[in-house]
Amino acid sequence: MFKGMPKIFWIGMAILYGWTFFFMFLEMTIPGFPLKQFFGVPACYIYNWMGALWLVNILVSFIFFKSEENREAKLENEKT
Amino acid sequence: MDVNPIVLLGAVIYFAIIFLIGWYSRKASMDASDYYVAGRKIGPFVNGSALAATYFSPASFLGLPAFIFILGYPFWWALVGIIGGMPIATLLTAAPLRKYAPTSFTDYYADRYDSKWLRLVAGIPTLIGGLAYVVLSIVGTALFLLAILKLNFVASVILATVVVFLYIYYGGMVATTFSTAFQGIAMTIGSVVAAVYVITHYGGLNGLTDATLSVSKEFFNMPYVADKPSHALMASWTGVVGFFFVWHFGFSAMPYTVVRFFTTQDIKSARRSVFWAVVIGGLMYCGLIIIGTGARVLIEQLHPLMKTEGIANAVDVLKHMKTAYGVAGATVTDYSMIAAMEALNSPFLLAIVAAGGLAIAMATASGWTMVLNVLLGRDLIGKVFGSKWPEKKPVQCTRMMTVIIMLVCMFAAFNPPALVLDISGAAFIVILCSVGPPLILGIWWTRGTTTAAIVNILVMTVCSTGSWMYAKYKLESYHWFFLSNPDNKISTPHQFYWVFVGFVFFIVLSLITKPNKQEVIKKYSIDLRPDL
Repeated sequence: MFKGMPKIFWIGMAILYGWTFFFMFLEMTIPGFPLKQFFGVPACYIYNWMGALWLVNILVSFIFFKSEENREAKLENEKT
Repeated sequence: MDVNPIVLLGAVIYFAIIFLIGWYSRKASMDASDYYVAGRKIGPFVNGSALAATYFSPASFLGLPAFIFILGYPFWWALVGIIGGMPIATLLTAAPLRKYAPTSFTDYYADRYDSKWLRLVAGIPTLIGGLAYVVLSIVGTALFLLAILKLNFVASVILATVVVFLYIYYGGMVATTFSTAFQGIAMTIGSVVAAVYVITHYGGLNGLTDATLSVSKEFFNMPYVADKPSHALMASWTGVVGFFFVWHFGFSAMPYTVVRFFTTQDIKSARRSVFWAVVIGGLMYCGLIIIGTGARVLIEQLHPLMKTEGIANAVDVLKHMKTAYGVAGATVTDYSMIAAMEALNSPFLLAIVAAGGLAIAMATASGWTMVLNVLLGRDLIGKVFGSKWPEKKPVQCTRMMTVIIMLVCMFAAFNPPALVLDISGAAFIVILCSVGPPLILGIWWTRGTTTAAIVNILVMTVCSTGSWMYAKYKLESYHWFFLSNPDNKISTPHQFYWVFVGFVFFIVLSLITKPNKQEVIKKYSIDLRPDL
């Protein structure tokens, strides 16, 4: 199952789920965690609103397509 | 409240741009390939923007802020789950399906599982989910038309149906891909501008948080660490994690997004499309979180209807809208996002948000209607039942299907069965747990069998729809586990667990049934994976 899936896929999945469930866990164990001040604003706007919702996903989707393009270019060079 | 000329002008400009795009691209949609898959010549940015506009629907634009309004901060994680599911599709389905390059969603099932009847079987949950989505898109379009024109809800639904119908009637996937790409930009601008207005109004994120807490003390409460949860459904981890997963795998396996992977120039474009969809869609979601968080306080502090006698809070404002405009069923809560924008008393803002809302609703309606057109016409009438009509006259056949679909959905939209986000959640779960495993594991597991695909699709369709309706009937909400004790209910939003059960069920069935032919497995499973 999943034979041939590029390794970067599993790394990306670890980043996505690791980030999400780590902060979800902290929120459910530390009282008031989302509202603790971080960089001058409630922390949830940093790790959830900007981080988990947007930046982490942009990063992962970027490394997915970029690493595949690099891998294919390398394969092409090896063939020629 | 009267019709505001600036808001009306915003809608007119939006429709003018859509008309112009449709007019200039009309000649490109005359043969079957162009009509169904845009001639496979769409670049990554345009396709990514169209992907975002199609994938995100009124369930996002209206429904997510409404659910944050109802459930509080823990529901932010549901939005993270939706955007977080998008990058996964890059390697899981986008690249393999573009390599395969079919015309229709059900082509893969028929080819990989070597039976034309798979088109019919896979078509059942797709039809259920698709019709639900067209209904919610008509409802969403109607609510924005109501906000612009101050029409009665029934008149708004009829007008919305006519608008969406004309939009699809005069263009196939080519016209809708370019106009949908524009709609992707429009909806994101609408959401971001609205969020900037809200944050600026409260003097920053700290001000917005303080204002939110002033009207809803439990808003930011998480399960287990607060005396009172933000909402009963968010009193346990199953509620928070459940909402995270309801829509999470949709981008990888929902027919209306999967077909947009078919329209790209090549595999490289398909992968890059996902990146652009994440950039555009994620930005829009950032805006929606702010709107949803500020909705209650904005309505209660600033909405003009709060001065009306007998109206004491945000819920009263929405009830008033229900009475004044005849908004049917639970749908009136979906108006909370628009009501929050009305509260800011800026016609310019409302014009931009209404244009964005119309964009997102029309894009989804057209995306799903195209999927259903191809399913009913080309796949079922043509491939399964042998008629030559869809092949000889694809445009005529598709338009006939459009008429039927729009009429059926218009009547359902007069009295929507649930909030738009609830309709969306049900559609996602029924499709993901039934046709999701045979699609994803069909590509990535050689052992998946035809029998397992058929049984999984049929059994999961019955289980997910049955438990969803049973939970509503017995426990008064789709979000409680359907077998819960009424005195001690367990939160399982939209019976999301069926998605995981579906994958396990498909694997077990495949292991005990006869494997498919080796040449079929090689062509539609092994050869679709990346070249090593």
